[in-house]
Amino acid sequence: MMHAFETLQLAQLAFPAEMNNSVLAPYLFVSAAMFCIGLIGFMTRKNMIIMFLCTELMFQAAGLSLIAFGRHHLGSDGQTFVIFVLTVAAAEAAMALALVVLLFRHRESLSASAWKELNG
Amino acid sequence: MTEKLAILWPEIFLFIATCLVMITGQWPSRAIRAFTPWICAVALFAAFGAAMSSPGSGSAHGGMFPEIVPYAKMLIAAVGMLILLLLSGTVDRELEAEVDAGKPFSSIRSNRGEFYAFFMFSLTGLMLTASADDLIWLFLALELTSLPTYIMVAISTERKKSLEAAVKYFFLGALGAAIFLYGFALIYGATGSTNLSEIATVFATQTANGGISSLGMIGLLIAIIGIAFKIAAVPMHFYTPDVYQGAASPVAAMLAFVPKTAGFLALMFILGTVGWNDGTAGGGHLPVAIEATLWIMAALTMTVGNILALLQTSVKRILAYSSIAHSGYMLVGLIAGPGIIGGPFYQNGLAAVLFYLLTYGIMTVGVFAVLASLEHRNGDEADDMDDIRGLCKSHPVLGWTLVICTLSMLGFPPLLGFLGKVGLFTSGIAAGQYALIVILGINSAIAACYYLRLVAAAYIDDKGKVSSPVYASPFATRKIAGVVSAFFVLFLLVFAQPMINGAYNASKYVPAVAGEVEHNDHTDRHTQSSPAKADEDVALTHKALID
Repeated sequence: MMHAFETLQLAQLAFPAEMNNSVLAPYLFVSAAMFCIGLIGFMTRKNMIIMFLCTELMFQAAGLSLIAFGRHHLGSDGQTFVIFVLTVAAAEAAMALALVVLLFRHRESLSASAWKELNG
Repeated sequence: MTEKLAILWPEIFLFIATCLVMITGQWPSRAIRAFTPWICAVALFAAFGAAMSSPGSGSAHGGMFPEIVPYAKMLIAAVGMLILLLLSGTVDRELEAEVDAGKPFSSIRSNRGEFYAFFMFSLTGLMLTASADDLIWLFLALELTSLPTYIMVAISTERKKSLEAAVKYFFLGALGAAIFLYGFALIYGATGSTNLSEIATVFATQTANGGISSLGMIGLLIAIIGIAFKIAAVPMHFYTPDVYQGAASPVAAMLAFVPKTAGFLALMFILGTVGWNDGTAGGGHLPVAIEATLWIMAALTMTVGNILALLQTSVKRILAYSSIAHSGYMLVGLIAGPGIIGGPFYQNGLAAVLFYLLTYGIMTVGVFAVLASLEHRNGDEADDMDDIRGLCKSHPVLGWTLVICTLSMLGFPPLLGFLGKVGLFTSGIAAGQYALIVILGINSAIAACYYLRLVAAAYIDDKGKVSSPVYASPFATRKIAGVVSAFFVLFLLVFAQPMINGAYNASKYVPAVAGEVEHNDHTDRHTQSSPAKADEDVALTHKALID
């Protein structure tokens, strides 16, 4: 644990100064854009695979800001967080694909609008 | 490390049970398969005992909520036990029937192991949420709570509708998770720390120097909206009726309690970082933007939930909308906050929320237990309003359970739900949220319409005109779960004082003090946060004074 932290500090020695706001801003902008694209995509698309990819995009948007902020604050928290986020995203991907395959076997369609049994 | 381990024993017991259950659920021998729920029960008992003797989270929350861990985990283990009673026979019914008829057991088709393991995983995640002291931990705990529930919904019945429900639940759940994760990222960006108490210190410093930075504020709002999915509050409530209707009743009962509790605990911790002391005179309140968001959320959640519940004919959908409405009620307690430090129970919104989670858990398990104990000839669960007509005459025990638990959900005076609601009302009044309290009152009146419809259907209506009759399901433990819930609803009135005290102690909130936080100095932080070291320091100072 301690060793990893020292390695990180060594790596950060290559860019010793805190990232200032003008360097941070583009990362945050891209991350916000990814988040919004994901959100809009989730609401407008009907294909379940695309909808899932949109939520993945939102997860990665958060990951990008975490890395940028982590570098900005010169701490290891952001990077640590991202590793856990990737793990959870992988678990969710496995689950999403399993569910979508199961649904596809029943309806031969990936469209979310093919499933309307429950309403009222 | 060891003091952290001391509060994690309940989770460790549950996790051990999770691993065992995955194996025994697939065992070829029937006796061992049937033993699976008992392992869960033993683990829940052990977790309850460990939580009872657990120290408060102390340093784990950096003092923000120093006493919440024992109460929250006892609550989770107790309601978890009720839900466990309810879960029996949910999966593998056809498979076990075939085994009875002489076919060999096929472990590939069996879902029992996974089902109970996922249930235990979800409760583990819920307990971990209660002990969270860090944004990373909180995120992982919330995900561990909800990921297993998606699968549980999918395998809870053999019908297509539970698949549809699972997919809807999963997609909106992933969306909610992505949203609150983005909020967490922005909070981290604004404060430079993922530790909740350090975040609280930074926010307190920022407040003292002219207000929380806009980045932090946006992060908090996004996180709150994301967590709204877990509690089924308004912008993220759409999935609730479909999912409750599609899932089997026992799983629906679990969905009403587990994610909601996780969401409210998470909201408490997130709101705890900004504190309820913006503006000084008498108690204070949350920062304006957050309070406004929560206010609108609470008002809309109550109203939407109650009004849409009026239009339903499916009992499960009514319960789903009532679950939305109950989230709205509890948000009032969160807005009111802990009141004056050291103030009485009736002014403390957080204590009211913690107590209400217990009462809501018991009542909702009771009602769902009644639905789970009734089924049609073809194995379909009771769901329609017609299914519960005349229940007090045809199945008196189930009928009266339904009547008692429903009246309690309505907040009928001598019952448990009334006690819970009184806390929310009085804390809201103490915090000066009069408009919100009026909305809460009006909503309780609207809710009476559909709750009384349920009561009338069970008590007054005649069975005679119903076409497809319902029968008692063969799983006696479901009935027991209902009866135990009804028993608690009636008799906790007399014995509620220890639980009210527990909730009151658990809600103890220590606001952060403005000051400098050392970033990027992990070694330093560890030594600083060690209480043993601090005690040593105190002892040394004492010694110096005496000398």
